[in-house]
Amino acid sequence: MPLLNDEAKAFIGYKSEPFAACEPVERGAVRRYAQAIMDPDPAYAEAVEPYGAPIAPPIFPSFMFRTPFGAPDFLTENARDPDFDGIVMGVGNGLPPLPLDGLALLNGGAEIEFFAYSKHGETVLQSSRYADIYERETKSGPMIFVIIETEFTTEAGQILLRARKTIIRR
Amino acid sequence: MNKRIDFEDVAVGDTLNPLGLGLFTTAHLMRWSAAMENWHKIHYDQPFATGHDKLPGLLINGSLKQNFIAQLLKDWAGRTGWVWKINFQFRAMNVVGEELTVWAKVTGKREAPEFGLIDLDVGIRNDKGVESTPGKAVVALPYRGRSPVPYPFVPPAM
Repeated sequence: MPLLNDEAKAFIGYKSEPFAACEPVERGAVRRYAQAIMDPDPAYAEAVEPYGAPIAPPIFPSFMFRTPFGAPDFLTENARDPDFDGIVMGVGNGLPPLPLDGLALLNGGAEIEFFAYSKHGETVLQSSRYADIYERETKSGPMIFVIIETEFTTEAGQILLRARKTIIRR
Repeated sequence: MNKRIDFEDVAVGDTLNPLGLGLFTTAHLMRWSAAMENWHKIHYDQPFATGHDKLPGLLINGSLKQNFIAQLLKDWAGRTGWVWKINFQFRAMNVVGEELTVWAKVTGKREAPEFGLIDLDVGIRNDKGVESTPGKAVVALPYRGRSPVPYPFVPPAM
């Protein structure tokens, strides 16, 4: 029986309106991120030419869309569900979730184009679309590949990066 | 990362100084989960990872590994170059207890009007030599004696 249903396939091409991350690029968030990725680049703490201000690591903007004040607490809401996988996508990417309940989620890879770093204090916006959704038979069984294209920009309209992510559901 | 590298300094077949990381512990994965505020259990909940999701162990996050490839290339390109594109696939899983080596090899050179483009193969190998994250990248480097690659980066028309 195929994993992919017509209801999920109907989301191909759906695009979200641009929206801002709940906080601007915060120095503390940049520090924790840089320490977690083990990148000691001094440009994350102080202004270094040619960037003009302290910056965040290259892929940081894509992790800024976190759970805002006032959002439901998914961890508590799902505490008694043995199948809850713990995934909390913050505000996510603005795309509606696909009707693929009960399927595990794996990160299948990505293609990222970089244009500029985000600077401390800067507001970042994103806009995403479901570029493709398809099923393929693999040596580990049938899998669904979800391709999500996202652009991250500053308020001033400077594009920071464009990511094309592959999410595997199985 | 402060050293300038020019297009002319690079030859096809060159390998970048690899980036060695690890030993990876559960604490490393918790630190990353906390930094990005995502609590996917397959990175810290052993019974969930191996029992519920049937995985071989606690997985090193793909979201973490992609940063390592960006770091290797960024530090190589320096402040006068620019990492334009990276693509990678998560082909194999890496688990807690492994050490990782991030590598890159020059596969091609192309000349754009304002700067040069370097094509690379990239990847991440574990301490058993298994490749988990193969991919490709394009890095822009300045021509010798010419201005740095413009920042913010504007892709060449070619």
